[in-house]
Amino acid sequence: MTDSLERLTTAIKTGKRKDAKAATAESLDAGLSPQSVLDALTAGMNDVGKRFKANEIFVPEVLVAARAMQKSMDLLEPILVASGIQPKHTILIGTVEGDLHDIGKNLVMMMLKGANFKVIDLGVNVAAETFSQAITEHKPNIVALSALLTTTMPAMENIVQHLNQSGADIKIMVGGAPITQDFAERIGADGFSPDAASAVELAQQLCA
Amino acid sequence: MTPKQRIRAAIDHQQPDKLPIDFGSSFITGIHCSVVEQLRDHYKLEKRPVKVCEPYQMLGEVEADLLDAMRLDVQPIFPQRTIFGFPNENWKPWTTPWGQEVLVSEHFKTTEDNKGNTYIYPQGDTSAPASGHMPKTSFFFDTIERIDPDFDEDELDLEDNLEEFGPMSKEEEAYWVEQTALWRGSDRAISVHLNGTGLGDIALVPAPFLTNPKGVRGVSDWYMLSADEPDFLKKLFDRQAEIALQNMAKLHAIAGDLIDVVVVCGTDFGTQNSLFCSVPSMRDIWLPRYKRINDWIHNNTNWRTFKHSCGAVEPLVDTFIDCGFDILNPVQCSADGMDPQGLKDNYGDRITFWGGGVNTQQTLPFGTPEQVRQEVLSRCEVFAPGGGFVFNAIHNVQAQTPIENVIAMIDTVHEFNGDK
Repeated sequence: MTDSLERLTTAIKTGKRKDAKAATAESLDAGLSPQSVLDALTAGMNDVGKRFKANEIFVPEVLVAARAMQKSMDLLEPILVASGIQPKHTILIGTVEGDLHDIGKNLVMMMLKGANFKVIDLGVNVAAETFSQAITEHKPNIVALSALLTTTMPAMENIVQHLNQSGADIKIMVGGAPITQDFAERIGADGFSPDAASAVELAQQLCA
Repeated sequence: MTPKQRIRAAIDHQQPDKLPIDFGSSFITGIHCSVVEQLRDHYKLEKRPVKVCEPYQMLGEVEADLLDAMRLDVQPIFPQRTIFGFPNENWKPWTTPWGQEVLVSEHFKTTEDNKGNTYIYPQGDTSAPASGHMPKTSFFFDTIERIDPDFDEDELDLEDNLEEFGPMSKEEEAYWVEQTALWRGSDRAISVHLNGTGLGDIALVPAPFLTNPKGVRGVSDWYMLSADEPDFLKKLFDRQAEIALQNMAKLHAIAGDLIDVVVVCGTDFGTQNSLFCSVPSMRDIWLPRYKRINDWIHNNTNWRTFKHSCGAVEPLVDTFIDCGFDILNPVQCSADGMDPQGLKDNYGDRITFWGGGVNTQQTLPFGTPEQVRQEVLSRCEVFAPGGGFVFNAIHNVQAQTPIENVIAMIDTVHEFNGDK
């Protein structure tokens, strides 16, 4: 790996957004392939995910890493698009109807982007019908639902039922503080993950 | 023992005559207004609309008749202003999105959009951008992040995040004089929320009480500070602690030792399965400032200090003790590492557990009354011996919790106390 790509990976790992931007610009200016820049970025986020899952780093460190990643992506994304390099898999994500909490959802989203998923964020307070419309439009592989409140767990159940009955060719994964594996299975979701790093592993399994 | 003596004995790790019980003494040990109404019906109390004492989480006031009926030990004196920056005064009726008739402050000003979402305004000022949002199908408000368009993360200004911290107003002083006169002589323990001692309570960071907040007001932006701007946080918390010390002296001059428990801090340090920062970060950024606040309280008052943090905070309990906190709430036993017996064995003689009584994410809302009873009995058997335990659920009793489960919870504590 060249020096600038190593510096990009390090900048992501340590959450240094200015270094990440500079290393990305330098790599692209030097004519390195956009795929190699993307790989360096993904390597950084992969390391962040592993250390987060092991409780070696915490939410703030993941957030600064994701911000650094975004600074790099701002430069890289147009070039990836122009080169026809696209993520293999698409995920629709949203916090369920009645629930406005999005810290957890956003962490999952950042980690998925860092693992080179295309992520379509539907935001918070998202109704079943909105998910259905977005599935038609974006044809995702996975729909990811988040809920923080016990009072919105029934909404999550309703959305999962609605999507399962719609016959769409998707997998559904769920998460959020009160959500458990048992609940996920009971409502007919295809998977549950307890944290953002595990969500990436789950998404990769569901797409395999 | 009077309820006050019972609470004080429990906090000071002496065996009280009965296990003391709290519901409604703070904004993290409360009950949703819809459940308060059902409790009033259950105990056949006078039919009247419930007062929303905390409009963000829509907590209902547990008034004296309900405190008596449930045999609760703690009387709150709530802050002069709510989280949306207005005083709770001149109550008026309001119909909630779920159709309940409640009473709210005359300054509780809302609008509704064409989808049935409700918006609430800081200080009751509808000319300001709304600072809270309740979706049509929800039972609570959540804060709206209003980010200053001129905010620059490379040019942080301490003063921007100090706007809401200042000396106690004459209006607030008068409020405390009136309230302390009202409750002096009460045989219940008195609990109050201190103002400005949370040091980064994430519910307050977006400043839903300010009409035009500046500085770091986004939740994610705030969390990132502990990773890349720890010195900014330390300076900010030093200033906040300095102001808080002056206000605590004023409060003490007015209320003296009428107050038994002060809620110092609602700042969450835990998630369901981890922490929001490392133990060394907590000890570097927060510990010295919390210690300064708690030391002042212990050196100058007879108050006991209450720390709230949700989540898997077992690795931080020693640090909370080193900070000088006397009480930990809500003791989220469902989070990783928060095994009740382990907590009692390792920390039970050094910090009081106020909470932990039943899981409000699973058992209380979704279990059977018998499952609630079994869990409550088990927690009481583990936590109660030797004092150091005040019974409360793990955080507020949420909307949509079956009333029979809430009754099972309360009845079981009385059963444990031999009072059934």
